[in-house]
Amino acid sequence: MANLKEIKRKIGSVKNTQKTTNAMKLVSSAKLKRTEELAKRSRVYASKLTELIEEIAQKMQQSSADGIDNVYFKEVKNPKKVDIVFVTADKGLCGGFNSQTIKRVSQLLAQYKAEDVKVRLRAIGRKGIDYFKFNNIELSNEIIGLSAAPDFKKSAEFISEVAEGYVKGETDKIVLVHNGYVNMITQEVKEDHLLPVDTSKLELNTVSTSELEVEPDDDDTLLDALVKRYIEYTMYYSLIDSLAAEHSARMQAMDAATKNAKEMVKELNVKYNKARQEAITTELIEIISGMESMK
Amino acid sequence: MELMKLEIVTPNGVIFDDEVKQVTLPGTEGEFGVLPKHATLVSLLDTGVIVIEKADSKEIAVAINSGYVKVEEEKTTCIVDGAVALFGEDSDLSRALEAAKELLQSTESSSTAIASAVSKVEQIGKSL
Repeated sequence: MANLKEIKRKIGSVKNTQKTTNAMKLVSSAKLKRTEELAKRSRVYASKLTELIEEIAQKMQQSSADGIDNVYFKEVKNPKKVDIVFVTADKGLCGGFNSQTIKRVSQLLAQYKAEDVKVRLRAIGRKGIDYFKFNNIELSNEIIGLSAAPDFKKSAEFISEVAEGYVKGETDKIVLVHNGYVNMITQEVKEDHLLPVDTSKLELNTVSTSELEVEPDDDDTLLDALVKRYIEYTMYYSLIDSLAAEHSARMQAMDAATKNAKEMVKELNVKYNKARQEAITTELIEIISGMESMK
Repeated sequence: MELMKLEIVTPNGVIFDDEVKQVTLPGTEGEFGVLPKHATLVSLLDTGVIVIEKADSKEIAVAINSGYVKVEEEKTTCIVDGAVALFGEDSDLSRALEAAKELLQSTESSSTAIASAVSKVEQIGKSL
């Protein structure tokens, strides 16, 4: 009989878990919708900004023979110092979302180590920070709270600081790693080369912009301002993208958990019924054999 | 009169996308007007007010903090950090004016530019 009670208790507890996971799934799906909307709206801005940079870069490339002469565009052949900025969630319970990013960062770390490159890690999000701290890997930035609520001002402040290091020559390259949103069921780890601006990706042959006038007259002033805005925005967008991915990953994980719980309740129910029947059968046998012996 | 396309994009989405007759923009080197068939131009924008003359000759204004503008012959695109549109119903308008003033004051550029932009916002508020 003790067994029966135990199974019943287990069913209750699994059912409770199921309720929790189901609620978390609903919350995530609502949050995802909001974040998705935010991402969609800011995507327009990002694409326009990139377009503008492309054109200015193209113009500068046309005007000088040896490529673009701007600190943000100068590619260092063998980078000796690299900054990796990576974004993880502050919370867990979202499947492999955080570990995927962490894995990629660790890979990059190993790769750069093999090439004898100094790497500084800058972490956004508690989960990533916890992981690297646990493994005794030094982090030069630890930011908590930004990945759960992306704020343009805060993210801009942070990335400007990083970019300043680049301008001063403290680092040769800035890489941004985050787990991005693809659709409701897929996330993809994205690795962006924030600085120097990757000119190979820019489409530098669309239209002739030789007649493009620029105000203020100095190309560099405009380009500097644009690139600054560009990296600030890329950072902010990564945060939004990461948040959307986090919610979709959590939704999926919680959906799977709810399903598993359902399955488990089903199994436990069968077990319970079996145990109950067994108990009845034994009882009956006991009674019958007792009666037999009395005859 | 000829028309051109005007788009104003902020991080929160597109706030204006229509055919217009003329637009006046607050460039860092001074205010300038753009008519259709303007030569290609890229400029930084300062804190100020964008005045738009719509296809029906009605004027509307959008207060911005800072950004960029790309002018092409047929199309003008403004990429701005923050913007408040000063049009709509009367009740919305007063709220929009307040929001615009707040936005202008929140920027970090020179105080004279902000003061002139704020006075312009007030002036537009009265004329509407």
